[in-house]
Amino acid sequence: MFLRIEKGSSVAISRQIADQIATLCASGTMKPGEQLPSVRELARDLAVNQNTILRVYERLCGEGLLEMRHGQGTFATGRVSKTRTAAHRARLVDELRQIARQATGLGLTTDELHELLTEAVDSIPTAEALPAGRGQTS
Amino acid sequence: MNELAIDVQAVHKSFRSTQVLRGVTLQVSRGKTFAFLGRNAAGKTTLIRSLLGLLTRDDGAIRVLGIDPQREPLELRRRIGYLAEDQTMYGWMRVEEIVCFVAPFYPTWDHALAAKYLSDFELPLRTRVKHLSKGQNVRLGLVLALSHRPELVILDDPALGLDPIMRKQFNRDLINHLQGEGRTVFYSSHLLYEVEPVADEIAILDQGRILRQADTESLRRDVKQIVLSRAALNRAHNQLKILDERIDGDHAAVTIENFERAQSVLGREGIEHRVVDLNLDEIFEAYVAGSRRKSPDAVAQPELQPLI
Repeated sequence: MFLRIEKGSSVAISRQIADQIATLCASGTMKPGEQLPSVRELARDLAVNQNTILRVYERLCGEGLLEMRHGQGTFATGRVSKTRTAAHRARLVDELRQIARQATGLGLTTDELHELLTEAVDSIPTAEALPAGRGQTS
Repeated sequence: MNELAIDVQAVHKSFRSTQVLRGVTLQVSRGKTFAFLGRNAAGKTTLIRSLLGLLTRDDGAIRVLGIDPQREPLELRRRIGYLAEDQTMYGWMRVEEIVCFVAPFYPTWDHALAAKYLSDFELPLRTRVKHLSKGQNVRLGLVLALSHRPELVILDDPALGLDPIMRKQFNRDLINHLQGEGRTVFYSSHLLYEVEPVADEIAILDQGRILRQADTESLRRDVKQIVLSRAALNRAHNQLKILDERIDGDHAAVTIENFERAQSVLGREGIEHRVVDLNLDEIFEAYVAGSRRKSPDAVAQPELQPLI
């Protein structure tokens, strides 16, 4: 599991980790039933406080994305979190607004922006062309 | 057993006419990693030296592991590991010699652990201390501070002089060797983004006062920047806990504490606003700026080192 922590970000470290794990689950990179690293391992790997990792795992378990099996470890469930999807969608809409504002600032017309967006969508490889979960993970 | 590893109550300390600590109060629970942050000359080193009994306080109370450092400094120092900011070691000793020299002072010294740290930190055993680089010097200081497996580790700006890779390695060591074993760590730093991943709790010290003590996540949830119109700010001003404010034409950006309350105030008043998440550096800056606005007379004074 590859995670990347951005130091000095305005996003709390626990949220960075939670969001990235959720993305890995949603994109299928993390398959249902797959085991996550132990709290201790991930803490060492990322150089992040163990309590922080534990809280992230607990939160994602609460959302149903992960489950802790007693004495075995933490596993992906394959379920999607409704609250998380909604939050993700809200963030995306927000980003689109910012993009629209930037495009207007650059003097692009609405049609030109539509065209660019269509191109961007077209450039995404289809599911058959790519093994599940690769590519658009963030 | 006392649940607090460190308990500091209203501690004052002046050097001649310079007030360095002006009523510092903070508590560190056992097993926690506690970072306290301050600019240069905020009083960090003075506080640390008071905790160790290296300085006598003018007023207030201190208990470290249940001990008053002023009354039983030697007993206390056996049980804690300490790394000074400007750790001076005998320059003529070789690395392996200084380790052997320090070991007998501590009944709980663990030679195997010392050897492991020496190799983890890639320290040259045969080199004389005076020939070590700054980073190597810090690492040697850490070996000497940690090898007796202390209950409490006090580090005065340990990341100072370490390169980014060593800092990450240092954080990892903190997590594996100290947090993993349930030890209490109290350390000072001025690099917020370095302490965030590691610290359970932080305190912000400025001009000899603790401006805020909190865990980093609550701090981030509680302190936000709000962008709104200047007229709206005037309306809500008294109901917000403002740390710092900037005005630009008709707009105002205010950094506030107690975000949840602020949001309900703004909602009730029907004030349109935008919320900006802040990083820890920005939060720190807002607290320091806010405290200076409240006490403009207390401009930063240089921290005088006592002559001992």
